[in-house]
Amino acid sequence: MGPARDAGAPLLELRGITKCFGRLTANDDISLRVSRGEVVGLLGENGAGKSTLMNVLSGLIQPDQGDISLTGKAVSFASPRDAVAAGIGMVHQHFMLVPTLSVIENIALGDRSLRLFPLDLSGIRDRLAKVSNQVGLEVDPDATVGRLGIGEQQRVEIARVLCHDARILILDEPTAVLTPEESTQLFEAVRSMAAAGTSVILISHKLDDIFGICSRVAVLRQGRKVLDAPLDETDRDALVHAMVGDTVSAPHGERVSPPGPPIVTVKDLRLKRDNGATLIDDLNVEVRAGEILGVAGIEGNGQRELAECIAGLRRPDAGEISYDGEPIYGSMTPRRLRQMGLRHITEDRHGTGILPDQPLSENHLLGHIRNPRFNRRSWLQRHAAKEATASIIDQYDVRAAGADAPMGSLSGGNQQKAVLGRELADGIRFLIAAHPTRGLDIRTIAFIQRQLLELRDAGVGILLISSDLNEIWRLSDTILVFGGGNAFGPVSAETTSLPEVGAWMAGHQ
Amino acid sequence: MRSIQFIANLPAPWRVAAIAFAGALLISALLLAAGFSPLQALFVLIEQSLGNGNGLSEVVVRSVPLTLAGLGIAVAFRARVFNVGADGQIIFGAIGFVGFSLALPGLSGWVLLPLSMVAAIVGGGLWGGIAGVLRARYNANEIIVTIMLTYVAFQALGWAIRGPLQESAQIFPRSDAVPDGVLLGTMIEGTRLHWGLAIALLAVAATYVALRYTSFGFRLDAVGENPLAARFSGIRDRTMIALSLTISGGLAGLAGAVEIAGVHGRLQDAFAEGTGITAIAVALLARLNPLFIPLTALMFAVLSVGASGLQRQLGIPFPLVHIVEAIVILAFVIAGALQNADRGVRDA
Repeated sequence: MGPARDAGAPLLELRGITKCFGRLTANDDISLRVSRGEVVGLLGENGAGKSTLMNVLSGLIQPDQGDISLTGKAVSFASPRDAVAAGIGMVHQHFMLVPTLSVIENIALGDRSLRLFPLDLSGIRDRLAKVSNQVGLEVDPDATVGRLGIGEQQRVEIARVLCHDARILILDEPTAVLTPEESTQLFEAVRSMAAAGTSVILISHKLDDIFGICSRVAVLRQGRKVLDAPLDETDRDALVHAMVGDTVSAPHGERVSPPGPPIVTVKDLRLKRDNGATLIDDLNVEVRAGEILGVAGIEGNGQRELAECIAGLRRPDAGEISYDGEPIYGSMTPRRLRQMGLRHITEDRHGTGILPDQPLSENHLLGHIRNPRFNRRSWLQRHAAKEATASIIDQYDVRAAGADAPMGSLSGGNQQKAVLGRELADGIRFLIAAHPTRGLDIRTIAFIQRQLLELRDAGVGILLISSDLNEIWRLSDTILVFGGGNAFGPVSAETTSLPEVGAWMAGHQ
Repeated sequence: MRSIQFIANLPAPWRVAAIAFAGALLISALLLAAGFSPLQALFVLIEQSLGNGNGLSEVVVRSVPLTLAGLGIAVAFRARVFNVGADGQIIFGAIGFVGFSLALPGLSGWVLLPLSMVAAIVGGGLWGGIAGVLRARYNANEIIVTIMLTYVAFQALGWAIRGPLQESAQIFPRSDAVPDGVLLGTMIEGTRLHWGLAIALLAVAATYVALRYTSFGFRLDAVGENPLAARFSGIRDRTMIALSLTISGGLAGLAGAVEIAGVHGRLQDAFAEGTGITAIAVALLARLNPLFIPLTALMFAVLSVGASGLQRQLGIPFPLVHIVEAIVILAFVIAGALQNADRGVRDA
């Protein structure tokens, strides 16, 4: 396409983009303008609609309403290929690189102008050299991608997009996986790209990223654009407020009794990412019986690792965790912990929580395979499992054809209720609840939250991990925030405020 | 591709018929090209295996190691572990059996036979267990490891019968005959049908009960369906994987011992060649259900016994006989897979 030169029109304009998934409105009448060479920050919590908007822009999904224009000309993208051809390139949070191929081969992938017989990569090599020079992205074209570090792989992704003549570069949470030095290098590259005329849309949760390189920022909340301003006309507090909103803090239920003795104690804990970057350093916290400790924060800041450490599934890089005063590492196995009343609603239900092809009753057995009620000297007691499942279906209002219905045939909310029923049954003393209400409908969310409060009143210690700040705020007695490589807190819910927690989430003191 | 799609879209019985028909056509064409009559070959194949008492008893004899090794493969498959090295485990079972019984010839058969069988299970279990531990600890691909260990086992067998276990006369590459006490007698006079059949049927029952009614079977299935969900529930998934290959190898080792004690009476080259590979098809076709495994083992035994008759009666060269056998096995496996695919669509 030959873009008509129109000095007045912005490079990219989104008008009235609306996208619904079922009853959920992911994008509600969102408009956004991006000029040539501008770096625009797109800020928002998980589920605010950032990814949906960018997926619309990169042709992965089609909007229900609204239109896109480039240099004043209306365009529509039926597929990502159309968007790439129009000069829109996206660097995803999870890299789309083939680890066994070299850098140059990865960049050549998907290039339809390439002659294959005989394969000639010299053109791409020249382009890569030019692009690297221009924006200061140093990459060795012949290195094998799998051997590169995360920061280098990201540079390859960016170089690939630029080699395909992108005029607009979308970066999805680019600093989430980077060390501080790598982030600084990335920012420098983004600045030179902007100076060379490329526009950049930076999706982020971190205020530091936004203030580091953006010239303008737009904030999304619950599918709507709630703020759009040049960076020098706003400040951190305004952004945090726009992101989190005026939450009415519902009381977290009247306490019936003070918390009891600690069940889980975390001492000097250090957690690292697989690439060695530190996630959490020197964490000290305890969860008492009859207390909910809420761990807030954008996902990927160490919450999953913390949960796995407490469940005995992962060894901490340093420090000690004990359960009922006994160190978890050394004598305890996940099986022993379970027998001592530790239960786990895992964040990835399909991957780690259920047997989708098996009936509900077998899924119940999975959680209680060592319970003598279901396992008498190694003999399975399937009838007992069916009875237990039937009473859970009843008690938790699980919509299922019966105890014999395969778990995978249930809706997500009903699966979660079945999992909840399984984990809460028979001797629960401590619960790790990781994103227990994510993706569920309002009724189920309310039901599960009520269950958690009832458990607390019954004296169960609960570690609640959630990226939904409202949920944390409403349920927790004590709050811990993971953000930007730091842990803030623990603080009592009574002595902090929502804006303060919101600012911590954005990695900002 | 299009014709495969066409077959896949047919209703299940028609699909199986289409595969059977395609297989029959292919075999007929091959036989005709080599100058043999397909009809006559079919007749001989059936007559040799099912047409007389001798053939029938040979079929049952052949089905015994297939059943035992097939059970082993099914146990591993339940944990989604692919044991394609049953042949090696059979060899180590046989070596354990022969080595143990020759080392303690003074014991009475009542004591020596069960002990030697245990030695066979340990031998096969060790060989399977190596692959199991490598998979569980280092995530080494068990398909590659079990195949490679099979080659090692072939060489070990060759060395054993030319070295430490070679017969006292030192003439042939074979071991001494095992003591009479450990031989499995014939069940029916005048045939080769031996008491190994009873052992195999006992193993079928035991495996069925273990998989269906015990906590062990449940944990195995759970690890097979979702190892992480199992681990998060306190099941030691890696241990289960190592254990599944160990038990799998143990059952294959028992197959080797039964083959020695019931048929050969001593260790020799290629005493159960190809059993472990055919047993994969036996287990898959039985859909990993122990109760069906003797039936599918019988089917493959008919094929194997009948096919060797083709060579004797019609002079069809062995390579061609093997090709015919392979086409039939492939047809069975494809038909089974197509039926499973149908099930998958309905379940989803």
